Amino acid sequence: MFAIAALLVLSLLGYALDRELAVVLRRQQIEQLDTKFEDINYVLERLRGPEQWVRIHAKLDALTPPDRGTQYWILSDDPQIRYGNALAEIVSLSPSASRVGELRVGDRPEPMLIRSAYFPADARHAALRFIVGIDSASYARTRRDFRSVLLASISGGVLLVALIGYLITHWGLVPLKRLSKEAHELSPSMLSQRLMVARLPAELSDLAKSFNGALDRLETAYEQLETFNADVTHELRTPLTNLIGQTQVALSRERSATQLVEVLQSNLEDLERLRAMINDMLFLARANLGERPQQLVRTSLAAEVEKAVEFLDFLMDEASVSVRMKGDAQAPIETSLFQRAVTNLLHNAIRHSPAGSEIIVEVSVGDGQARVSVSNAGPVIPAEHLGRLFDRFYRVDSARVNSGESHGLGLAIVKAVAAMHAGSVFAASHGGITTVGFSVAISA
Amino acid sequence: MVPYLPFSAQDGTMKILVVEDELKIADYLYKGLTEQGYIVDLAHNGFDAQHLALEIDYDVIVLDQMLPGLDGLAVLHSLRALKDTPVIMLTARDRIEDRVKGLRAGADDYLIKPFSFVELLARVQALTRRGRKHETTQIRVGDLVVDLLARKAFRDGSRIDLTAKEFALLAVLARHQGQILSKTAIAEMVWEVNFDTNANVVEVAIKRLRAKIDAPYHSSLLHTVRGMGYVLEDRTAR
Repeated sequence: MFAIAALLVLSLLGYALDRELAVVLRRQQIEQLDTKFEDINYVLERLRGPEQWVRIHAKLDALTPPDRGTQYWILSDDPQIRYGNALAEIVSLSPSASRVGELRVGDRPEPMLIRSAYFPADARHAALRFIVGIDSASYARTRRDFRSVLLASISGGVLLVALIGYLITHWGLVPLKRLSKEAHELSPSMLSQRLMVARLPAELSDLAKSFNGALDRLETAYEQLETFNADVTHELRTPLTNLIGQTQVALSRERSATQLVEVLQSNLEDLERLRAMINDMLFLARANLGERPQQLVRTSLAAEVEKAVEFLDFLMDEASVSVRMKGDAQAPIETSLFQRAVTNLLHNAIRHSPAGSEIIVEVSVGDGQARVSVSNAGPVIPAEHLGRLFDRFYRVDSARVNSGESHGLGLAIVKAVAAMHAGSVFAASHGGITTVGFSVAISA
Repeated sequence: MVPYLPFSAQDGTMKILVVEDELKIADYLYKGLTEQGYIVDLAHNGFDAQHLALEIDYDVIVLDQMLPGLDGLAVLHSLRALKDTPVIMLTARDRIEDRVKGLRAGADDYLIKPFSFVELLARVQALTRRGRKHETTQIRVGDLVVDLLARKAFRDGSRIDLTAKEFALLAVLARHQGQILSKTAIAEMVWEVNFDTNANVVEVAIKRLRAKIDAPYHSSLLHTVRGMGYVLEDRTAR
């Protein structure tokens, strides 16, 4: 990764440098060429007579360096004027040729950069063409050298960056590797295990903290599920044991039809109870999975509470308790779910109210939620029980387990209904009054 | 006393097709419905069901949704293309979408497994009765007279003093006289409560009604069928 990035960046840089160098070198070459050309051009323009050609030739000889890096040519039909090795290509150069051109000279590997000027025939001399050429070999060499240095530095740079990158990643990832190892070692049998946050760099400690948070929530959920499974097993085992035992006893001897019918009836009662429990557990499971109400209707909560009160009227009459209602609110609810929750709360309150007392149902609004609270007189529920009232199968009074009247899911259903309406549940108990309730969101 | 499911003579020889791949359920449905006086045909898969439902004119079809071969909804679709036979769907998946799917496909009613036989029977009877609507204003059960219009009840000629809900309960029982009504069905019909609850409201209500319509008289009309529900009928004639 690092190597590829470095290669890319350095190559681009190298290419740009190389281009720039080429441009600079070319300009220098042309400047050099121009200087030499102007020198001789000046002399030629001021030419006074043929006798000067010998002097000019001598000067050109002197100006030509031994390595022949600069060369001069004068082309003309007049052999007296002619200078340098006459070359076919040079002869063919037209007067309109560009100011600067290239010329390949047989024994040189690099072309020569040339500039020429044409002097038409006049009184003093025949027509002639003057050419200055400089060898570009040294420039080409400079460029070649530069290129190889560049290439070497790029390769070196890439290797270095790759190495440094590897080391950074390696050392930088040590904490991550440790985290990964720790995470790998997490198992359901050691649920309380957490990732060590202390020695982590800031970027990772946030991650580890959120991960630990998720583990906390999972542990809670897992524990709840475990308890739930244990509870379900227990709750289902009791009626099943009854059913099996009762049926076996009934079949172990000759029985009259009436006796058998009685057994069947008793079985049926147990089976109906099992069915109700399974249906409720299914309901809770679906609510837990985030199922939402299908048909929300914005309606008066007090009116819905009224319906639940009417349904339970006979029970309240039997228990000699009365209901007083306070307040109202409008909220989007699925009425049957809402009524179910209120019925469960009221039923609970009726069962725990002393005769002659009053149950107060209050509907209030606050924090974007409509709250329904049901208060009844009765023994104070200790604080340690309050928080768990809404747990499945949780009973304050464990002696009531097999009362048959309740299977301990009533308040769990209230909680599920509240959750389905984006609300919550609450419970308080002091001064001989117990208040249990739930809320629903006011806006859908 | 040994309770019994009363013979539903009023339904005559109604024909029912029961489509259920679970043999135990199919067996008891066959037995129970036959004993109720219905003529019952059984189908254990979707193809047989489709064939029978299209060939024979049934009064009601009890159709399981999950079937081998052709599923219940497919059978319903092909049936509805040709016939209006009332259909009760049985479904184990009590998700609302499934119910909606079934009803949209043309089912007349649905029951969620595990369902009670009494419940199924009540729905079968409701569907077979749907055709003949001669709602009487007065129902007579033995020497009990329920005047639905005046909302009054008399027994042995004397007026029985009932609260509004007690009368509503009596009216529901009287309208279905001779038919066992489950607590769930009663709660739904009297209080429009269509959810499960542990509250023993129906039991208490029945107790109160019984104290008024039965206790002062020599014979009982309101009977408990243990584990199943309640039935209002005159058993003295038998």
